[in-house]
Amino acid sequence: MLGEQRPTEEEASALTEPATSRLMRPDVRDEFGLETIDMNMGPQHPAMHGLLRLILELDGETVVRCDPVMGYLHRCQEKIAENRMYPAVIPMTDRLDYFANMHNEHGYVLAVEDLLDIEVPPRAEYIRVLMCELMRLASHIPSIGFLMLELGAFTPILYAFRERERVQSIFEAVTGARMMFHYIRIGGVKADLPPEIPEQIWKFVENLEKNFKGDFVDLIEGNEIFISRTRGVGQLTQEKAVEMGLTGPPLRCTGVDFDIRIDYPYSVYPELTFDIVTDTAGDVEASYRVRIGECLQSIRIIKQCLEKIPEGAVMAELGRRIRPAEGEGFGRVESPRGEFAVHVVSDGSDTPYRVHYRDPSFVNMQLLQEIVPGHYLPDIMPIMGLVDPVSGGWDK
Amino acid sequence: MGTVLQYLDQEPFRFLLSFGAVLFLVLNLAAVLTMAERKVSGYIQLRYGPNRVGPRGLLQPAADVFKLFTKENVSPGRSDLWVFLGAPIAMFLPAAAVWLVIPFSPDAVIANINVAILFFIAITSIGALGVVMAGYGSRSTFSLLGALRGAAQMISYEVPLILSLLGVVMLSGSLSFVDVVAAQGDTFWTWYFLPLLPMFLTFYVSGIAEVKRVPFDLPEGESEIVGGFMIEYSGMTWALIQAAEFASMGLMSAITATLFLGGWQPPLPFLDLGAFNWIWFGFKTALIMFTFQWIRWSIPRLRMDQLMDLGWKVLVPITLIYLLIVAAAMLILQEVF
Amino acid sequence: MPQVGQGILKGMGVTLKHLFGQKITRQYPEYKRDLPERSRGMLTVDMDRCIACLQCMRICPDHCISIEQEKRDIDGSGKAKPYAVGFVIDDTRCMYCSLCVEVCPVNCIYHTEEFEAQAYNRLELARQFGERPVDPTVDPKPAVKTKKKPTGKEAPKTVERPRTGRDEAS
Repeated sequence: MLGEQRPTEEEASALTEPATSRLMRPDVRDEFGLETIDMNMGPQHPAMHGLLRLILELDGETVVRCDPVMGYLHRCQEKIAENRMYPAVIPMTDRLDYFANMHNEHGYVLAVEDLLDIEVPPRAEYIRVLMCELMRLASHIPSIGFLMLELGAFTPILYAFRERERVQSIFEAVTGARMMFHYIRIGGVKADLPPEIPEQIWKFVENLEKNFKGDFVDLIEGNEIFISRTRGVGQLTQEKAVEMGLTGPPLRCTGVDFDIRIDYPYSVYPELTFDIVTDTAGDVEASYRVRIGECLQSIRIIKQCLEKIPEGAVMAELGRRIRPAEGEGFGRVESPRGEFAVHVVSDGSDTPYRVHYRDPSFVNMQLLQEIVPGHYLPDIMPIMGLVDPVSGGWDK
Repeated sequence: MGTVLQYLDQEPFRFLLSFGAVLFLVLNLAAVLTMAERKVSGYIQLRYGPNRVGPRGLLQPAADVFKLFTKENVSPGRSDLWVFLGAPIAMFLPAAAVWLVIPFSPDAVIANINVAILFFIAITSIGALGVVMAGYGSRSTFSLLGALRGAAQMISYEVPLILSLLGVVMLSGSLSFVDVVAAQGDTFWTWYFLPLLPMFLTFYVSGIAEVKRVPFDLPEGESEIVGGFMIEYSGMTWALIQAAEFASMGLMSAITATLFLGGWQPPLPFLDLGAFNWIWFGFKTALIMFTFQWIRWSIPRLRMDQLMDLGWKVLVPITLIYLLIVAAAMLILQEVF
Repeated sequence: MPQVGQGILKGMGVTLKHLFGQKITRQYPEYKRDLPERSRGMLTVDMDRCIACLQCMRICPDHCISIEQEKRDIDGSGKAKPYAVGFVIDDTRCMYCSLCVEVCPVNCIYHTEEFEAQAYNRLELARQFGERPVDPTVDPKPAVKTKKKPTGKEAPKTVERPRTGRDEAS
């Protein structure tokens, strides 16, 4: 499945020319009396992954300048968290990056457990990892669907959402809600898995492995139009990606093998075997391949979790009140979009003094301002598919 | 009865009746096509299309039309009103007018002119004008981009469209649709899509580009320039633009069927239905419309430079070279033709 | 420069296969699926068991529960116990997080399986459970008791903790 349509050597070397070489120099433009158009791809737009405003300066079809303006979905989550008790902040973290809810909860809970310095029972850790990897599947497959939707193909997204619906029904049976789970708690998880769930997850994962190619990937991968619209578009180099602080698939598609699950391991990831998926091309097609590869690795992790999960309690013995001592806690997880980190500062009371979320969508959005100039206007959409931001994430 | 028909066959009545018949056909076709499109898209996307209004959703177009009649026709404050309102008309009338020359059945053609192909080419070029009027009259950046893309695309793809028609003209020796259909014979291996296969495919692809459907719907570009040239239209003006789009889709299918698939000719002689051969014509047109829709819901759209590359660098050379091959073949194999 | 080739035709084959395949949608009002037992629907209160401890009001992150408490002699024992004379749950604010359900000591507030919360008027969605109607538009008093007031001093002093990581040198 992976790597069937890799570019050849000459094609790969032809891609290293930056897109800005296509831009006309400003003095040349003035000499000919040409002007640029200022356009606003506004917050109301069907394909902006949320409420994002892009201020574009166009020279015909070529983008000269692209400035993202964020803040249209800002809900003051970090400020509100200062007035809520520690357990009551968890449902709010659900709503940050609403395509990767489990990871947000996990990040916050890791930060608070760092503050409290408590030990989480192993069964709870395995359940957390299982839920997070299912969430990763439920996030990457629609990401690819959204990429195709913005390229103009309207069907892959519906096939993707069919898979996501299956994951969501598993989540509903386990946690009680389809999207805002509020399941990972400080000290463990809320409740144990219902007895029929491991069987259901096995069947889902095997079904996905068998049908993924025929149902979904075949519609996308070899498609010549898809290749010509995504190969060479949004070209990133390793230095630039590291300099901008990107994490997640945008970073790994350039070849840097950085994954929080391996480099700063948390939970039970050290006991599981999986690979970091990287690709060297650094363009939108490479990020597509990285996401497909990560789906396959997630399936591998889910199978290992289901086999290795121990019996036991799912919640640590904590008191009724969660009132940590003064100090700081830091937790970081590998969400489907990159590194999601939470910094909690406590002043000894029931509520945090400060909660700060380092959201991957917010940081990865820098890509738009740096990489888009020089590309054509229709190329903005695949580049947003490379970043795959979620508006709850960048705006909090 | 005979005298009534004879009376109606006289000039003013014949013209008015045929005009009315064409409008009736085209508008109903547009409405039915919207429904067919939504049902086909639904089934491809693993869902039912509209199935609430009427039995199995068949009254959905009626509900849509009713809604669009009652909606306000918004126009931007600084738009050029005459150009803005004239654009849907300029897009719809060409799509409707060419139906006058299409042969549905051996005697059923409303205007049997002997330069029908030329008429078709001339009138569809006006569609490009309609797109530019819509985009320019709206005075908005998105519509300007859509209009420029639309103009470039429609004008570029007329060249392969016309060149691929020349193959048909050479083989049949006439510019009239009626003659082309008659020359294709009533067996499917003598229809023109086999000897002229590259021409058929080029005409088909250029047809999709002329109608501005995915993968060539960049003028409308729903993901980047939301609506493109028709972004400022709503209510009945928008409905007229959509009707124009679906009518031209039907028109392209009908002309492809006429020129390359034998028009009203049955695939095998014993399946000839005499005066009811319009059933074969309808079947072929519906088949091509279905493939238009199938393609629309399967593949992404092309970017502007790729689209122009395809038109100028791939389709035009193919048609030119194949024209030479057909001419050479006709010269060498004179006894066959 | 794209050429129509195998990839596109293979993709079109996939869509054609799905065209004749099974649909995955359900016709909603005629078909309602069985919700799993842990489903969190709209909240409801069993007022006979409520002891007006105000825990749910305090923990709710959205401030959607508003309780008016009164001391009343309910069970005839002569002692005035807290009693919830007004209890309102505002469905327009509830985010179904189930914190109130977990924190209730007598398990009187719980989720039902209903989720169809629709009304023509916003106030209809604020369901009153007590005797006296409570105004849902007034924010209930702040729930947290032990919040320290800002003293104007600097942020609390922090503790150095070792970080685990692949490169310990950082």
